[in-house]
Amino acid sequence: MPPIDELTILVPVDVSDEPPALDILDVLSPLEVVLLGYFPVPDQAEPALIKDEYEAEAEARLVDVAGGRPDLTEVLVFTHDREATIDRVADQYDCDAVLAPGAVTEIERVLVPIRGDVNLERIISVTARLLEATGATVTLFHSVTEDADESYGEFLLRGATDRLEEFGVDEERVSWELSAEGDPSQEIVDLGNEFDIVVLGESEPSLRERIIGDVLSHVVDDLESPALIVRDTE
Amino acid sequence: MSVDGGELERTLGFLEAMTLGGGTMIGAGIFILPGIAARNAGPASSVSYAIAGFVALLAALSLSELATGMPIAGGSYHYVNRALGSLAGSVVGWGMWSGLMFASAFYMVGFGQYIVEPVPFLDGRGFIILLGLAGLALLTGVNYYGTEESSSLQNVMIGSETAVIVVFVVVGVFFIQPGNLEPFAPAGAGGVVATTGIVFISFLGFEIIATVAGEIKNPGRIIPLSMILSVVLVTILYVLVMLVSTGVIPYDRLGDSPIPVADVATAYLGPAGAVAIVFAAIVAAISSSNSSILAASRVVYAMGRDGVVSKWLNVSHPRFFTPHRAIVTTSALTAALILVGLRVDAIVSLLAEAASFSFLVAYALVHVSLVVFRRADPDEYDPSFSLPSPLYPVVPVLGVLLSIVVVTQMAPVIVAIGTGIIVVGVVWYAVYARGRVVSEGLLRDALWGPPAAAYRVVVPVANPETQRGLLRLAAASARANADVADPELVAVNVVHVEHESPLQNVEAERADHQRDLLENAQAFADEMGVTLRTRALTAADTGEALLSVLEEEAADEVLLGWSGETTGGDAVTGPTVATILENAPCDVALVTLRGAVGTPVGLVAPGRDAASVARRVAEFATVEDVVPTLLAVVPAEGDESAARQRGADLVAEAAAAAGLEPDEYTTEVVVDDDVGAGIQAVIGEYQTVCVSHAEAATDSGAPVRSALASAATNVALVRSAEQPVPRGSD
Repeated sequence: MPPIDELTILVPVDVSDEPPALDILDVLSPLEVVLLGYFPVPDQAEPALIKDEYEAEAEARLVDVAGGRPDLTEVLVFTHDREATIDRVADQYDCDAVLAPGAVTEIERVLVPIRGDVNLERIISVTARLLEATGATVTLFHSVTEDADESYGEFLLRGATDRLEEFGVDEERVSWELSAEGDPSQEIVDLGNEFDIVVLGESEPSLRERIIGDVLSHVVDDLESPALIVRDTE
Repeated sequence: MSVDGGELERTLGFLEAMTLGGGTMIGAGIFILPGIAARNAGPASSVSYAIAGFVALLAALSLSELATGMPIAGGSYHYVNRALGSLAGSVVGWGMWSGLMFASAFYMVGFGQYIVEPVPFLDGRGFIILLGLAGLALLTGVNYYGTEESSSLQNVMIGSETAVIVVFVVVGVFFIQPGNLEPFAPAGAGGVVATTGIVFISFLGFEIIATVAGEIKNPGRIIPLSMILSVVLVTILYVLVMLVSTGVIPYDRLGDSPIPVADVATAYLGPAGAVAIVFAAIVAAISSSNSSILAASRVVYAMGRDGVVSKWLNVSHPRFFTPHRAIVTTSALTAALILVGLRVDAIVSLLAEAASFSFLVAYALVHVSLVVFRRADPDEYDPSFSLPSPLYPVVPVLGVLLSIVVVTQMAPVIVAIGTGIIVVGVVWYAVYARGRVVSEGLLRDALWGPPAAAYRVVVPVANPETQRGLLRLAAASARANADVADPELVAVNVVHVEHESPLQNVEAERADHQRDLLENAQAFADEMGVTLRTRALTAADTGEALLSVLEEEAADEVLLGWSGETTGGDAVTGPTVATILENAPCDVALVTLRGAVGTPVGLVAPGRDAASVARRVAEFATVEDVVPTLLAVVPAEGDESAARQRGADLVAEAAAAAGLEPDEYTTEVVVDDDVGAGIQAVIGEYQTVCVSHAEAATDSGAPVRSALASAATNVALVRSAEQPVPRGSD
């Protein structure tokens, strides 16, 4: 797994309508931010048609969201497929994580749910950079599924705590929580809303997820706090 | 800010492209038409499907090449418009648009039939039409509001209807009664071909792969592969459906059924089979009609972009961002076509045949467009897949012929309607589009070859004292090539600045100097009666700036004036000159002018510059209308007469390569073991020496270098364009 030197975050915003003000960009300012203004184009229209009509307007909105912040890379795309565009732009600009924005003006408490060891190293290193940039405290969280062993969860959380400290995060800023209620998605949503930001790991969707929908996107949709989704670039 | 708009993601792999093409094709046609096909051609209607599939395959092959060459929205319409101009484009655009309306109306009437017929208490044409209109209204609503990433629903619909057909066929083959297939072709060959015209509509949809070419990964491989395979598989499936249908129920009885496939399924799968077929047919009608509406809005968009129809149609909805006007217009006309069914009995086959007609004409013109693109070979056309040798020209030629055969066998009323639509296209072009559209097409280029480019000599000018001489030489070069193409001179001046920036102010004095220089050049060219254009540049790197001019102008030759002094470490030339010598994509002549041109001598040595030296010398000789000398200096190596012969051969070879006749030059051969001394002995007799640049840099080139230093002789160092100097490899 490549260690992350400079944390680059992709922030997608829908520019087909007046987008909300993104105060969170100020909080993230020590990090590299790529601001992706996407304009969703319905199947019925050609992207070029919408681009002709709305390019100036969309560009103005994007500039507005950027709010003259320096060091912000701005990208504007007209797309039939939002997910594919986010993936491609994230690849193109080497983004480590994608932000699902929420209303927040400062980041003091970070929640990091840990599902398993998939993508864990990257989640930890993104979290460490985020803590470094914001000075926030972090809570690591694991929900034990019904048929799993509780001690494995504890093992994961302790391991993650150690890795964070190796990244130079002060021990006092790290705490962890283990839950055995058995409904990880709902717990993450409930708990997450008490925090300023939730760091989640992207993983390859399973076959089941492909059919009935991605668990991750349900969690992100239900969360009111912003979520930082760490990309699995392997 | 990097604005990366309108770009599509290359996300479709082979399987996705196959599913898209096959799924769009397998649709309502196969559920609705087997009855009509059986009535018209008997069991041989399976052959009609095979022929229609073959015609579709030919179109798919031609479209594959065009799609990889120009991945742009609009599909067939766009290729024809580009290749054959806006008249043909207008005909195909209207044809495709109306063809999609016919198809959509056909699907919706079939949809009505498949709901009304199985339900006992519903009866009558009125209900069928009403349900068709209701279905259309539903689809119009959905498309008016817009859908995003609806592919998963679409996949479920297409998957289930395909599964039902496959089960129908796989089980059905065991229930074929050979007796039903006799007589096989009651209506003869004519009936089979005529039926081809009706069932061709069942193959509409493979074109979608070409339409989304920009989204397909590895297009050069996947586009042709998925197009060919999806058409072939669908053809096999259709042929089997037809064989099963006519094999299970006698064709004359099948022909009376408006829901033929459901009736056949009842025969061996019972009521459950019929229900499944009815369900699949309804789903298929909806998805096919939906695809047609989407395809229509794409065609209208492409026509609007080219100015063939009003841009008003393409204004998108302020909230839903759908081209709502195009969608509503398409739907309104489709509804009118459905309503015709209230009065006309044979509405289903008429609609199917009219749609087939439009698309057969469109695909015939696509084949012609492929030939035009191949022959005209425009710069922007660079297909990653091109039809291999026996397939081209066989595919386009056969494609056009078969389309004509099928179209001429159609019912007279269809030919009348189809011709009417073509006439509408022509009239529309004449009345509305002609003044607005710019596309002239490539037909002229394809017939007579691309217009010959001007023979262009670029002359960088900097020094008012030498520029007349340079221009005179350049004019001579250009004129000498007047038989190749119109000669043209381009005079360039580069003002050097430290940093390139649009805001940089070049001092007024230098800008004036540049303007005077170029105006003088223009005046002198007018005096000599040659065409001259001027270009004024400002750049930090003069050499690079000149190189970019050479590339933009597609120059044949650059004539560079030069003091003859050597600077710094570079043995023969300075840095700007070195850049040009190393990288120029054309012939280079580096000229030190000191006096009248007189009789020039070209020093011919083995190497790739020999022909260029001969060519330049012949050009320079035209200044004073003399016969140039081609000189070869060869070492004796013991046998003087053999050496003499070698020298003469060298000269003859270079002259021939330069295209000079034997009476256009004088041969001089000097035999001397010390080549340098040999050269020295002769060149003093001439006022102008022309020599390979590479040669001048060698040991034996010493006399040339000393001639450069002497005050008397004009020297031209020549470098041929045929240098293997790929830029960027160093």
